[in-house]
Amino acid sequence: MKETAGIYVHIPFCLRKCEYCDFHSIVVNDRSEFLAVVDSYLCAVQREAQYYASWMEEYRFETLFLGGGTPTAVPAEKLAEVVVYLRELFQLPVGAEITCEANPKTITAESLNELRDVGVNRISLGAQAFQDSLLDVLGRTHSAADVSTSVQALHAAGFTDFNLDLMFGLPGQTMADWQATLERAVDLAPTHLSCYSLIVEEGTPFYDLFSRDLLDLPGEDTEADMYALARDVLQRAGYRHYEVSNFALPGNECAHNLLYWKNQPYLGLGSSASGRVGTMRYTNAADVPGYIAAWQHNQPNIAHVEALDKDKEMDETLICGLRLLDGVSEAEFRERFGCSLWEVYPDQIKNLEERGLVQYRAGRLSVTTQGLFLGNVVYREFLRSSERRI
Amino acid sequence: MSRRNVRNFCIIAHIDHGKSTLADRILEHTGALEGREMTDQVLDSMDLERERGITIKLKAVRLTYQARDGQAYTLNLIDTPGHVDFSYEVSRSLAACEGALLVIDASQGIEAQTLANLYLALEHDLEIIPVINKIDLPNADPERVKRELEESVGLDASDAILVSAKTGQGITEVLEAVVERIPAPQGDLEAPLRAMVFDSHYDTYRGAVAYARIMEGAVRVGDRIMMMSSGRVFEVNTLAVFAPQMTAVDALYAGDVGCIIASMKDVRDTRVGDTITLADRPAKEPLPGYRPAKPMVYCGLYPVINEEYVSLRDALEKLQLNDAALTFEAESSAALGFGYRCGFLGLLHLEIVQERLEREFDLNLITTAPSVQYRVVLTDGTVLEVDNPAKLPDAALIDYVEEPYVRATIMVPSEFVGAVMDLCQDKRGTFIHMEYVTPERAKLEYDMPLAEILLDFFDKLKSRTKGYASLDYEMTGYRESDVVKLDILLNGKPVDALSCIVHRTKAQVRGRSLAEKLKEVIPRQQFEVPIQAAIGSRIIARETVKALRKDVLAKCYGGDISRKRKLLEKQKEGKKRMKNLGNVDVPQEAFMAILEVD
Repeated sequence: MKETAGIYVHIPFCLRKCEYCDFHSIVVNDRSEFLAVVDSYLCAVQREAQYYASWMEEYRFETLFLGGGTPTAVPAEKLAEVVVYLRELFQLPVGAEITCEANPKTITAESLNELRDVGVNRISLGAQAFQDSLLDVLGRTHSAADVSTSVQALHAAGFTDFNLDLMFGLPGQTMADWQATLERAVDLAPTHLSCYSLIVEEGTPFYDLFSRDLLDLPGEDTEADMYALARDVLQRAGYRHYEVSNFALPGNECAHNLLYWKNQPYLGLGSSASGRVGTMRYTNAADVPGYIAAWQHNQPNIAHVEALDKDKEMDETLICGLRLLDGVSEAEFRERFGCSLWEVYPDQIKNLEERGLVQYRAGRLSVTTQGLFLGNVVYREFLRSSERRI
Repeated sequence: MSRRNVRNFCIIAHIDHGKSTLADRILEHTGALEGREMTDQVLDSMDLERERGITIKLKAVRLTYQARDGQAYTLNLIDTPGHVDFSYEVSRSLAACEGALLVIDASQGIEAQTLANLYLALEHDLEIIPVINKIDLPNADPERVKRELEESVGLDASDAILVSAKTGQGITEVLEAVVERIPAPQGDLEAPLRAMVFDSHYDTYRGAVAYARIMEGAVRVGDRIMMMSSGRVFEVNTLAVFAPQMTAVDALYAGDVGCIIASMKDVRDTRVGDTITLADRPAKEPLPGYRPAKPMVYCGLYPVINEEYVSLRDALEKLQLNDAALTFEAESSAALGFGYRCGFLGLLHLEIVQERLEREFDLNLITTAPSVQYRVVLTDGTVLEVDNPAKLPDAALIDYVEEPYVRATIMVPSEFVGAVMDLCQDKRGTFIHMEYVTPERAKLEYDMPLAEILLDFFDKLKSRTKGYASLDYEMTGYRESDVVKLDILLNGKPVDALSCIVHRTKAQVRGRSLAEKLKEVIPRQQFEVPIQAAIGSRIIARETVKALRKDVLAKCYGGDISRKRKLLEKQKEGKKRMKNLGNVDVPQEAFMAILEVD
């Protein structure tokens, strides 16, 4: 049987860069120049897809995810064209999960219709917060009211399956702000919610402020309280906490992202995109002109390739799998690697169990609530490859 | 060349007064170095020395100078270390000379170190040539320096030479003064050999190399020589001088300075201050002044990873080849496992060794708080020497304890006298003497426990005097002292490596600030970690490291995995650098926290 796989397409364009974001994207202000770059870029994406398609026989592609950047910064008809192309090339089944990330103010009922017509059936909307002052601090281009307007547009275009991205641990954010954000998000009735704690990444304006001690972060204890509050509010509203930062109504978990956490294969297309095919993981250079130029000659523009041996693959299966609250199935692990979790990680599991961070129940190894909050402590234990190198 | 045309001299100065730069200019001026060969400060050959701007190992250079009187002179320049930790080595290099350049910064004036070295030089009857350096600086005040020289030490400052080692101004005058004022070496050429070792270093190919001043007699290649302190005999295979490259010679005669290579295994075979004589025709008496280097400060060195224990021993052995003052013996700690108790001349020496171990031998070390050596007299009369707080016997068994004292000399601008007196008082100092060298500068003398100096005395002294005070000290002996052992408990369990010995009157404050400091450096853990300071069973301070509540990567998607794994690996690496005590991960700096508390 063919192995299930997904496709990720990176759309590296934004209207403006957010203060905290370290994802690869560019801002092109001149409209005609922008449209020209988008055209060449999407052309390159199609060439890259074509290049890989011939040796993807062993995979059955079931999900497609357009991420960014801000995919919806690009005209909808151009995105639609790419979706159609990829659906046919990789023979995506009818009804396959096709997600497009979007930002409020970059979508309308019309543009959404265009996407829905070519099979996009899930939208992930960057709401982040419902306080204009916080949105301003983050450098977002939209207001809280714009989020509601966008959700109305989603409904109007018939999108019932959509996600809202929310952020906590923001500079100046109070518990009351966060509670209000969660409640207003629930009121908009998304099927899925991602709640991310702010990570101050190097190379962002936030990092600059942070290193000068000018970022008024709520602090570790408040952040933990905020995380607990999100769990509390969302679970009471009927959402299932299924991954560290992700909540969904039962049955609405993101199939594409589940591929990552289950350490399954995916093809990555576009500048800075990563793919994991066979026993290697590649990452394209984060360079839009370089990417376009390379594919004009049908050449990949890869920045980094990593070979994944069995040990590394096992470790990553645990590190990613334990992000899921369901954890890792012993039976699936055994089927995939031919050995038991306990044969590979006897000390690690025992140690973490004794510390109350993981549990084994009904054939699955998973984190406890404390283990969830202290995920890094758990994941670190399963890094064996680094130990051997030292 | 006739011995009448030989001059042996050294340069003494306070740190940063420009000794090394002056030495460079002299080398340049005598053609010992071509411009292109010059790297700044050639005498400080170890990287670490150059980085820290101090001279750890002294070296000798032979220069040829064509003087104004038309004759050529051989000048042997002996460099001296500039730190109080190495004052014994300074005294030995002074003993190898007939004269000294006393370098004083024209803007700083006389400092404690200047005086200490000057007194040493006068004890050795050296001809002193005062050199006032850095006269190119806008705030240079050579007249004030001259006044200080005359009033503080009664030196005739009228013939002080004004120099800018930076620009080269006055260097010829310095060289002429060396020729004119410093006497030629004396010493009976026919007497049995007596050569004084003033430095040594270890060379991978040659073994230990002794730098010596021949006081009497002569030594030739092939001679069998004897070390008078140990009686050990070696055969000379090479004699050389440094000009500044090593140049072999057939013999060294009374008055000469050079190096002796004789298949000696390590520098302990050729200790600084020892007298070398001929095995077949030995001198009756060694030269005066030899004393084996004795450590003043002790600390435990432990590998973070227990497996590195053997590598640590190998590294210490290698360093010891070149450092006769470094001592070490195996010790173990319940908290830290196997390690070594090491003895050092002072804190700087300790830091240098620690840094070399980590840098040159790639070891990951935990250093426990430095301690002096206490003399513990038990009720049954037994006397113990204790340099490890964990080894202090139970209080009930102790009759009394003595701790080492030093006589500290502090030079300070008059306006800071009050501040310095307060500080010395606070550090259990006993006032001995004060005098105004000039109306603007005072010299203070205190008797102080060495342990207080080790703590943070120097930093405090500097900060209370805007950096103007300078310090020198010498060991004076032991005094009875009411000290107690301060224990630290993590998670309710005492950690031997965190114990320290403190004066009873300081215990409360020290305990409290130590607990506070530990709270800062110990990262949050899965569980709350109580930190307690205790004397015996009495808890005197308590702090708590709150439990870690949340530590989880918010995002991990396809493109992130490599990066996120690297992040986790880095975290894991950081955790490995910590010592796990019971259930508590303790970072390296915790063990030195005692040095940073008030």
